[in-house]
Amino acid sequence: MTEEKKKASYDALVIGGGIAGGEAALNMANNGFTVLLIEKDLSIGGKMIHLSKVFPTLDCSACITTPKVSEISRHPLITIYTGSEVRNINRLSDTLFEADIIKHPRYVTEEDCTGCQLCEQACPVVVSDQYQFGFVGRKAAYIPFSIASPRVAAIDIENCTLCGACEKACPTKCIDFTQQSIEYLVRVKTVIIATGFNLFDPLKIPRFGYGRYKNVITAMEMERQLAPTRPFNTVLRPGDGKVPDRLAYVLCTGSRDVTIGNPICSQICCMYSIKQAQLLMGALPMADVTIYYINIRSFGKGFEEFYDQAKGMGVNFVKGKIGLISEKENGNLILRYEDVNANTVKEAEHDLVILATGVVSNPDNASFFTNNSLKLDPFSFICQTDMLASPARTSIEGVFVAGTASGPMDIPDSILSAGAASSEAMSYIISKQ
Amino acid sequence: MEIEKGKTYKYLKEKREIPESVKENLKNYTRIKRTILDVLKEGDMTVGQISEKTGLPRHDVLYYLMTLAKYGFVQTGGIDDMDEYFYYKIKA
Repeated sequence: MTEEKKKASYDALVIGGGIAGGEAALNMANNGFTVLLIEKDLSIGGKMIHLSKVFPTLDCSACITTPKVSEISRHPLITIYTGSEVRNINRLSDTLFEADIIKHPRYVTEEDCTGCQLCEQACPVVVSDQYQFGFVGRKAAYIPFSIASPRVAAIDIENCTLCGACEKACPTKCIDFTQQSIEYLVRVKTVIIATGFNLFDPLKIPRFGYGRYKNVITAMEMERQLAPTRPFNTVLRPGDGKVPDRLAYVLCTGSRDVTIGNPICSQICCMYSIKQAQLLMGALPMADVTIYYINIRSFGKGFEEFYDQAKGMGVNFVKGKIGLISEKENGNLILRYEDVNANTVKEAEHDLVILATGVVSNPDNASFFTNNSLKLDPFSFICQTDMLASPARTSIEGVFVAGTASGPMDIPDSILSAGAASSEAMSYIISKQ
Repeated sequence: MEIEKGKTYKYLKEKREIPESVKENLKNYTRIKRTILDVLKEGDMTVGQISEKTGLPRHDVLYYLMTLAKYGFVQTGGIDDMDEYFYYKIKA
């Protein structure tokens, strides 16, 4: 650790480089404000950059995200720190916040890396690829994923054997094992929190068998299987590589469920499941897809038509709550469920089960501010203190919230929310001048 | 110590001990890679067939096959008569 903290000042600090944080940063920068964008992952783009397609238009997600991400990366008024975290923020006055930021070492000099991947070829170590949810391996010297921004290698130091093969292979000599964490002390006039959401951890519902049964996966894992940069280059069940032909979606996994402490609706699972069902019908034309639901909440523009389209394509919708999932010897799964319309308990066999995991809050939200308290709502999302009149405001003056940090919402709503947060932040700065 | 550009791993090697689990993981991968590639020399096989020959669990076979495919050692061949399982082969 360097002893001296590096000092800098910007107009705005945006925490989180997902689609909401990126959009907010871009709006501010396009209006002449300087922005520091902090992202804890190795790439900006958040969860959206990993998606296959978006509902209800079935547009390619990467095709929307990558130009935006590239615009953010190249903007002269936006400074991006990836692999970095905000430790704490002190509010010094009305228009002055001081943030402690730590940038973890990547062991690669970002400016010099050309993304040639020769280090990746040379590295002998293979570990589970977190960006493909462990369906495939990656090297310890690696480009996080093909459309990462910055598309720069990183060294996974926890799994590195320090053999030096990557350094020998690197044509620009950009790998640098002497790198250490750098601490920054940054002064800004306003803060936008865009820390996003976490997906519900299905291990908390052991009766669904996630983790124990290899053919029970999450919808985000299926999303990767459907994306152009997919791990298997087709859809396969992870247990034995079989091409699945009887797939089941379990909606409301971790949402609308008081027993696991999350009674609220996640707002996106119905629609992303319907989207994936349609994509699966295209990818696996012979497959049967069944969606087990409590209610289908197709509330947005074009959503009901999208639901009808799925029914028209032959997706089977069953109003039922899943009680138990058990595994047969051949890897198939038996779903025991309450058929609500028939008022009976039934069983059905499927060869791949996808859990539509819900949206939960990011625990990082509560920890940023030292001398002010950032109020959270009962579900630990950031509280919008004036939700109807000014939904981007938080309990701290000059601090705004963008995207799913304030609660579950879909991509267009996140971008809208980022627009609102950036406008409020700019008008806040101007009003205090 | 003096740090030479292009050999900075030596600097960290003096400061950092490599955990046994990391060394073990490397050995494990190298061994499984060799086992799978040896088995595939006998002919194209499905995940199940490789699993039977090697004793590795099927999900592990799929993981390593896909990793070997990613790094250019293995490629996917045709599908079986039931349209259920793909065959995998050594990349030509």
